[in-house]
Amino acid sequence: MSSNNESIGKTLGVVVGLCLVCAIVVSVASVQLRPLQQANKIKDVQRNILAAAGFKDVQDVEATFKANIEPRVIDMKTGEYVDVDHSSFDFESTKYDADRSFAIPKEDDLAGIQRMTNNSPVYLAKDESGQVSTVILPIQGYGLWGVMFGFLALDDDGQTIKAIQFYKHNETAGLGGEIQNPKWTATWNGKQLPVDIVKGTAGNNEHKIDGLSGATLTSNGVDNTIDFWTSNKGFGPFLAKVRKGALN
Amino acid sequence: MANTKEMKEVLFGPVFANNPIALQVLGICSALAVTSSLKNALIMSIALTLVTAFSSLFISMMRHHIPSSVRIIVQMTIIASLVIVVDQVLQAVVYSTAKELSTFIGLIITNCIVMGRAEAYAMKSPPVMSFLDGIGNGLGYSVVLLTVGFVRELFGSGTLFGVEILPLVSDGGWYRPMGLLIMPFSSFFLVGIFIWILRTYKKDQVEAKA
Repeated sequence: MSSNNESIGKTLGVVVGLCLVCAIVVSVASVQLRPLQQANKIKDVQRNILAAAGFKDVQDVEATFKANIEPRVIDMKTGEYVDVDHSSFDFESTKYDADRSFAIPKEDDLAGIQRMTNNSPVYLAKDESGQVSTVILPIQGYGLWGVMFGFLALDDDGQTIKAIQFYKHNETAGLGGEIQNPKWTATWNGKQLPVDIVKGTAGNNEHKIDGLSGATLTSNGVDNTIDFWTSNKGFGPFLAKVRKGALN
Repeated sequence: MANTKEMKEVLFGPVFANNPIALQVLGICSALAVTSSLKNALIMSIALTLVTAFSSLFISMMRHHIPSSVRIIVQMTIIASLVIVVDQVLQAVVYSTAKELSTFIGLIITNCIVMGRAEAYAMKSPPVMSFLDGIGNGLGYSVVLLTVGFVRELFGSGTLFGVEILPLVSDGGWYRPMGLLIMPFSSFFLVGIFIWILRTYKKDQVEAKA
């Protein structure tokens, strides 16, 4: 078309102009949609905490969460409650904040997460009578393709598993992705810590859980994650207190 | 200059006669990755159709001002911006699906169909026709994606849109799912069969023997 299209001035002009327009469009979309996205994210986490606590198919996530779940923050080393606002706690960003986290020695890093936060939220779920009946621990660990994020719900004895719920992972859909399958997670109900994931021979053994077929590496990852977070490197100190009846 | 007949051809031609996946064999990678469930395939189809249509529209609108030395970069910038916007919208509106599709939405940027239409059609054609061409090619992509997604989800997981159709043995039913169909490479077979059937009816698509 026009021959001056190829001049340096025109080329620069088009490129700079286009970049400006595109940058504005992208920024506007990102800034305008951020509140919605954040709300979705928080809601998704809350829905998963509620699911771990046994509230399935909740309609009003926020209200149910507020009414039934008490979030607390604990010091991982001592297992004591600390007075920190739980709502601002974001594991991903906190993990890389040197003041609020530490590196896990390689030989201890069973879950493959490299760094650990000083504090962690725990979620106490109440039953109808207002008693704390379930404690929900956030857990994460390396599966086959990436870190799996989830919640482990324990009975108030700190020993019996009530539920396990993964809300974010990169495992293969249909194989490792079955860690989210309610039929599989239901088999965790009533098992006792420490648990082992085994190949098809768990039966009624209360310390064993059948692994996922076709997903041995993911199953191993889940196994390691549970072992890590229930050990003294994870929630061990806190669980020791729970077992002595610290919840009620 | 653009009459109705031409518009129709641009819009519906790519669905079967000139399908971007089946005939041009473009955009195969995402067709493998996101078709294990029909819902993901549907959202991906919509996202790709919108991106192709609007990128073709914008590129066509400024086609007389794009210096040919940087035209690919200009096209990429437009496509990438649109893809980011689509990704942001998905995260705000259908969060759980956006979570599952995650990287594949971003990979629309490198989808050969979008680039191919921008370079082959939008650079030479007026905006409205380019927009229709984008929609048409998006539809062609969608037809293959939804077909593959339908077969994979139905026979791989026994469900459609997450609703149980064939009760699985593991849930006390009778259907033993085909594990092969859950794996991404099974789409190669399905796309292959799709092309086979298509070419049985449309003999002109068969390449001449060398």
